[in-house]
Amino acid sequence: MASEPMSIGSSAQDPPPVPDATSQEPKYGGHTRFELELEFVQALGNPEYVNYLASRKFLQNPAFVAYLDYLQYWTRPPYLQYITYPTSCLKMLELLQVERFRKDILSPNLTHALVTEGMKAAVEWHRESLS
Amino acid sequence: MDKKLDASFERVEKALAVLIDSMTKFTPSEKAANDVVKAERELFLGLEELEVHQRNVARIKQLKQETEALDAQTKQTISALWEMRKELVAVAPTKFSPAKEEKYPFTTQQLLDYARRISRNTLPPPGVTNGVDLSTAAPTTPDDQAATGPNASFATSIGGGGGGSGSGQGTAASTPAPGVQDSFVSQVPSQSQTGATELPVHLKPAVNPLENAPFFTFPTIDRIRSGALAQYQDLINRGIDPKNYDPEEEERRIKQEEQDRKDAEERARQEREEQDRRMREERERMARERELARQQQQQQEGGMDRRGSVLAPGQAGGQPARAAPKQFTFLDEDDDDEDED
Repeated sequence: MASEPMSIGSSAQDPPPVPDATSQEPKYGGHTRFELELEFVQALGNPEYVNYLASRKFLQNPAFVAYLDYLQYWTRPPYLQYITYPTSCLKMLELLQVERFRKDILSPNLTHALVTEGMKAAVEWHRESLS
Repeated sequence: MDKKLDASFERVEKALAVLIDSMTKFTPSEKAANDVVKAERELFLGLEELEVHQRNVARIKQLKQETEALDAQTKQTISALWEMRKELVAVAPTKFSPAKEEKYPFTTQQLLDYARRISRNTLPPPGVTNGVDLSTAAPTTPDDQAATGPNASFATSIGGGGGGSGSGQGTAASTPAPGVQDSFVSQVPSQSQTGATELPVHLKPAVNPLENAPFFTFPTIDRIRSGALAQYQDLINRGIDPKNYDPEEEERRIKQEEQDRKDAEERARQEREEQDRRMREERERMARERELARQQQQQQEGGMDRRGSVLAPGQAGGQPARAAPKQFTFLDEDDDDEDED
């Protein structure tokens, strides 16, 4: 994706307002900041995508790390309810705050393991809750 | 004070010495005795004063002690306060996230809505195993499994669900019934099947299109590539600043412009038609007027004919025949003009 990770105006420190019918948010390419950040934070749930970001050296960029920290507002109400991939997305967001993980995710093995384990867990947690 | 007392003593001593002296000389002097008495009285006064003085000194001492004690206490308090302040400053404030401080009330309906929204991303659809062999987690041993058939693991998997009965396994596996239990049925390994009612492996995808389909709890790369962020990147690649750029708005704007252009054309066309119509009407009006004029002319001529017939009955047939060509010639010319239009 973007070669310059900070191409969105990064001056805003506060989370974007929760959308409602009357809001007149500025749009970026037809989408509000809320929509773009929601999509991005959920895309982070995909280990391959995070691996891609790591391979493009985004995860070493201090500005990007600060952005990851800023994105943690998605773990709190009222934003939490908009996340439709809660399991992987929130865990990945938590892991991405750790520097070690940001380095380790560059490894394809770890990425692959995260994908397969995630797939396995998606099936097994439900079975465990039933058995 | 000491000096004053000393002076008093001295006076008493002197007076006494004078008195004793006078007595030793056996000439006791009354004056000397009075002096002694006087001196003594002064001494007593001095002593009383001393007493007051001493008491005052004691009082002052006591007050001083009290002040010191209070000073010490104040100092102690202040130093304690200082210590406390230092400690307070040194204590790292615990960061409470807003979530812990604030309560976000929600209704059961909202909770259920959220559960419904996320369920398609958290719960695998029926038949999706992600390659997990679900039978392995069954608490029974392989021998038990063989003895009781696949229903042991099946029943465990669905935890007492509707299809957990003995006959349920085969039928559920062979029919693509929607339901959670179906997903577990199809995952039972074929080697543990009784075989009679189980479909061959190559037919399984036919009854369950989701057979062996992967299930992810995160958006797939394809989804990410077709999302808003990709559109954003696309705009950047095309050299458009995405800020305040709305493709829909843009499309609407283009459509609006096109519509405006069409409207303008339509208006121009209507105006042209209107103009044509007006010209036509004008021409018709003129034609009518001419026709009217012609008719009037004819009428007038008819009148003259009548008059002529009255005046000269013999020439009644020849006169209009001569006048008519004049009239018609004129009209013919007019008609020619009209045709040219």
